[in-house]
Amino acid sequence: MFNFIGRSFPRHDGFAKASGLAEFTFDVEVPGMLYGRIFKSPHAFARVGRVDASGAEALGAVVLTPDDVPDRLFNPRLISIEEDTFKDWRVLTKVPRYFGEPIAAVAAPTEDTAQRALEALRVDFEEVYDPVLDPFKAMSPSTRPIHERVMRGGRWIEVKNNIAAELRYSEGDLDSEEKRSSVVIERKFHASRRYHTQLEPKGAVCKLEPDGTLVVWTTTQTIHNTKILISQVYGIPMNRVDVRKVLLGGGFGSSIHTNLVTLIAVGLCLKSRKPVKLVLTREEDMVHDHVSFEFYMKVRAGATRDGSITFGELDNLIDVGAHQIQAYPILGTSLGWFVSLYKWRAVKYHGRSVYTNKVPSCAIRGYGAPEITWAVETVVDELAEELKIDPLEFRLANYRGRGEIFWGQGPTVKSIIRSDGVPELIAKGSEIIGWKRRESPRVKTGRFRRGVGVGRGFHTSGAGGPLSGAIIDYTGAVVKVNEDGSIDYITALQDHGGGTLDAHIKIIAEELKIPPGKVRVVWSGTSTTVYDVCTHASRGVFTGGEAARRAALEVKKKVLEYASRILDSVSPEALRIEYDRELSDAVIFVEGAPEKRITLSEVARVAWQRNWGSISASVSYRATVAPPSFTVYFVEVEVDMETGVIKPIRVVAGADIGTVISPELAAGQIHGGFAIGWSWTVGDEVSYLENGVPAHRMSLTDYKLPTSMDLPSDEDFIVLFASTYEPFGPFGAKGLGEAASNPVIAAVANAIYNATGIRFYEIPMTPEKILKAIKEGE
Amino acid sequence: MLSINAFNTYRIPQIFDYYRPRDLREALKLLESVEGAKVVAGGTDLVVDLKYRRIEVRALIDISRLDELRFIKLEDSYVEIGSAVTIQEIVESSIAREKLPLLVEAAESLGSWQIRNLATIGGNLCTASPAADTAPPLLVYDAELELVSLRGVRTVPIEKFFTGPKRVVLERGEILRSIRIPVSRNVFGWSYIKLRRTSFDVAKASVAVLLDARDGYIVDARVALGSVAPTPVRARGVERSIVGLKIEEAARVASERVVNEISPIDDARSTAWYRLQASKTLVSDAVWRAYERLLKIGV
Ligand SMILES: Cc1cc2nc3c(=O)[nH]c(=O)nc-3n(C[C@H](O)[C@H](O)[C@H](O)COP(=O)(O)OP(=O)(O)OC[C@H]3O[C@@H](n4cnc5c(N)ncnc54)[C@H](O)[C@@H]3O)c2cc1C
Repeated sequence: MFNFIGRSFPRHDGFAKASGLAEFTFDVEVPGMLYGRIFKSPHAFARVGRVDASGAEALGAVVLTPDDVPDRLFNPRLISIEEDTFKDWRVLTKVPRYFGEPIAAVAAPTEDTAQRALEALRVDFEEVYDPVLDPFKAMSPSTRPIHERVMRGGRWIEVKNNIAAELRYSEGDLDSEEKRSSVVIERKFHASRRYHTQLEPKGAVCKLEPDGTLVVWTTTQTIHNTKILISQVYGIPMNRVDVRKVLLGGGFGSSIHTNLVTLIAVGLCLKSRKPVKLVLTREEDMVHDHVSFEFYMKVRAGATRDGSITFGELDNLIDVGAHQIQAYPILGTSLGWFVSLYKWRAVKYHGRSVYTNKVPSCAIRGYGAPEITWAVETVVDELAEELKIDPLEFRLANYRGRGEIFWGQGPTVKSIIRSDGVPELIAKGSEIIGWKRRESPRVKTGRFRRGVGVGRGFHTSGAGGPLSGAIIDYTGAVVKVNEDGSIDYITALQDHGGGTLDAHIKIIAEELKIPPGKVRVVWSGTSTTVYDVCTHASRGVFTGGEAARRAALEVKKKVLEYASRILDSVSPEALRIEYDRELSDAVIFVEGAPEKRITLSEVARVAWQRNWGSISASVSYRATVAPPSFTVYFVEVEVDMETGVIKPIRVVAGADIGTVISPELAAGQIHGGFAIGWSWTVGDEVSYLENGVPAHRMSLTDYKLPTSMDLPSDEDFIVLFASTYEPFGPFGAKGLGEAASNPVIAAVANAIYNATGIRFYEIPMTPEKILKAIKEGE
Repeated sequence: MLSINAFNTYRIPQIFDYYRPRDLREALKLLESVEGAKVVAGGTDLVVDLKYRRIEVRALIDISRLDELRFIKLEDSYVEIGSAVTIQEIVESSIAREKLPLLVEAAESLGSWQIRNLATIGGNLCTASPAADTAPPLLVYDAELELVSLRGVRTVPIEKFFTGPKRVVLERGEILRSIRIPVSRNVFGWSYIKLRRTSFDVAKASVAVLLDARDGYIVDARVALGSVAPTPVRARGVERSIVGLKIEEAARVASERVVNEISPIDDARSTAWYRLQASKTLVSDAVWRAYERLLKIGV
């Protein structure tokens, strides 16, 4: 049916990356550039007195202090509409609120001088406060406020009890649904702070053009929002800020906003009037930049004897750290994930985001869905067990599927589910894993116990919707046919490294019937692309790919028009376009008249020679839906009852992503999604000492990630794709990135229970905790 | 503690001189005469310490390319390994594979391939980490260390080498020249088991076992552990208590007795409680595995 979609091609940046020639932010060199270093607060909560720059300046460094940057509050993430944007950040602060918050910065001609200048800076602290680390204590009225007031849009608002944001919601008659329930289960869950461990540490390179335009290369998932934020903070017109696209070494949410390092680099560049490179070390990236949100969830849910779910209640307390990135939106999406998982007939929700003196939290792959899904899928498993109903049947009877209303991205982004592969994935996956042979943990004995668990989840494809809502989500694409028929594709949309733009290339190729190798992704910037909000919310293929398809479609119409002129057909409608493998080009022809044939390249050449003008299209596109991509993961684990060590034995990972554009890259996302979810479940966490300094895990030496040796081999990792088609997606496709990791914690936790008979309500579930629980149970 | 602003792992944020002596004698002379000098071999421990500024140096003396320290040789009664031999060279050495399978098993578990290509056996011992992977095997092999300085040569049994975490008996001006490992005519079953957070990690706890048995009874047993005490330790009490026992008994008794010989602590990798629990299992597993290997060799 398709020429290119569903088939494998070399990646457009594959050679560059494999050979090491690819250029990332770190590799950008500008003649005469200075190297920057950030002065990070050694206290988790303090007030700065004097910053003495003389020692650093004596070494020839340029020093940037809080007085050198605009005194303007901002939120690094521009995704909510202005009225819903909470602003509590400054580029450099006089009141550090977490260990490592930037207070000043230096730039010098060599890296070593910069380091020495940094060490020569003298910063006095007028006051050092006891840090507030526990979010529950933070809410006590007697606790010192971390922020007295912050801005919401253009208005000041008071912060009470360190609550950064709050959201309540209810629907249906909870009391009567609870009365009707034969079983009610209530559980508390705690999901720790985790570090993104994206491959590339964050950084930026800036320079000023002679005309005063600021050019910026930086690690970001969104070049346009970076442009807008720089413009807002420094008061530079947007057409004088050109944020250039540069390869990104992984995101996972760590650069979903504009990182402070970018704004500090801009400050140094503007002050020194010289190009500046500022790149975080790995340790700075992990200790002083961002980590995931930390969740404290309480779930209550009920079901009737016959197995239908009645009500669901979620109390969701999120420790957001010292500043807001998306403290408010995460409350809405958490609710969205919760509501859209099952057909609760009544829902009650209370969400609070709380400030603490810790590194600020930002989205991590799944944006709350992995944690919420874990809590819900655990309770659902327990309900099914209480009711003695097969957990798969229970899920099938109660989940939100085709025809239901879905609002994954929160109450302002609703749409109807049109494609749903859950039944197919449950049927196939359970067969392969051998679900029917699954035994109760009660009958298991011996030292090494195996267990099988299931987790079902989803993620939205983007944050589009029929109404404008509170979230900004649109994108754009430019497709241009050169005079020889080769194609330039110009987009602001970032590829995190997963191959999003390779999917776009195939989509364009499919629409134009030309081989993918004829499409080149142009490395452009904000000055030469139209707006794209961000590569987040698993929207890269669904939204960005559709924009690319629409641009290609417009181009195709022009090509057909010109071809019609050349071939003398009555109208373009009389023409057909097809991929000709031998010519390696699209051929346009009149059906039934074989002599009336021309290649796309020839059309392009003729249009040029006859002065008909360029063939190109610029499209701005807003998706009117955000359909769910469903994932159903079956996991088999083995627990060593004497050491608490857990091994993944087998994974059957099913994904409903509509049309699969790149099967190998999609399978790669699923493997990676499992790996990250596995590390969240059994791996490491960022915890803090009493003084607010991260305990132990100050480097990758002690923040451990599973390696390929710790994960199932390819033979033991089966990927299934559902045979669905999403009517709103490009050629039927949906998103994947986050759906791939959302059900993992749930599936692993349920498998650990099935192996050991013990449920863990806290991640990470380390061997230490598991062994303790086993010994306590003995 | 140094300020967080003193760390910069893109650089070694210290200024020092670098020497690459032509031979061991020159190295020893430099070590004696250059103020604040330290020996560097693979640098996989030292450079990390320099970057994190756990130590400050004025000069580094690079011994990693000295031929006098880069050999593995088989003599009548012992194998001798130069201190600058890399861990990967040990893994690939046919002498080591034949005569010292326990050391090879431990060496294979050390770091990653990249690390093994730089890391030396001398560095692993002189760093004196309680977790050093080559230490427990060398302890049960009764290895002897040859230390040289301008003043002469002395030999120290490995059990006397470690004096505390990060502390060894090396004196100022001394370099570990080589490690001498007696090769017994007896055949041993062997086993190195390392518990770690991921497959690329330093040990939470590790055990090395050499075992000889006759008719199902243990006749010789040697046990050492890593990461569960201030230094790598030889568990002589365990050894004594299992000689003469049948294998099933021996494994059980070893696991009971081991708790008397270790004193684990909480750190970034694990907890004291867990280490104690896990050591019991690890010792029993290692005794079993060594025994099964012994049977396979067919004695
Ligand atoms: C990523 C990573 C993973 C690691 N994983 C492991 C692991 O799994 N297991 C493990 O045991 N270790 C591990 N290590 C630690 C390290 O690699 C080993 O301890 C290694 O053997 C050290 O050897 P080196 O040659 O690099 O020592 P260097 O760093 O060069 O030296 C270490 C110390 O020994 C001294 N020294 C070196 N040679 C001599 C000598 N001949 N005489 C006197 N003093 C000397 C130096 O002055 C220095 O104080 C790891 C390290 C890293 C960075």
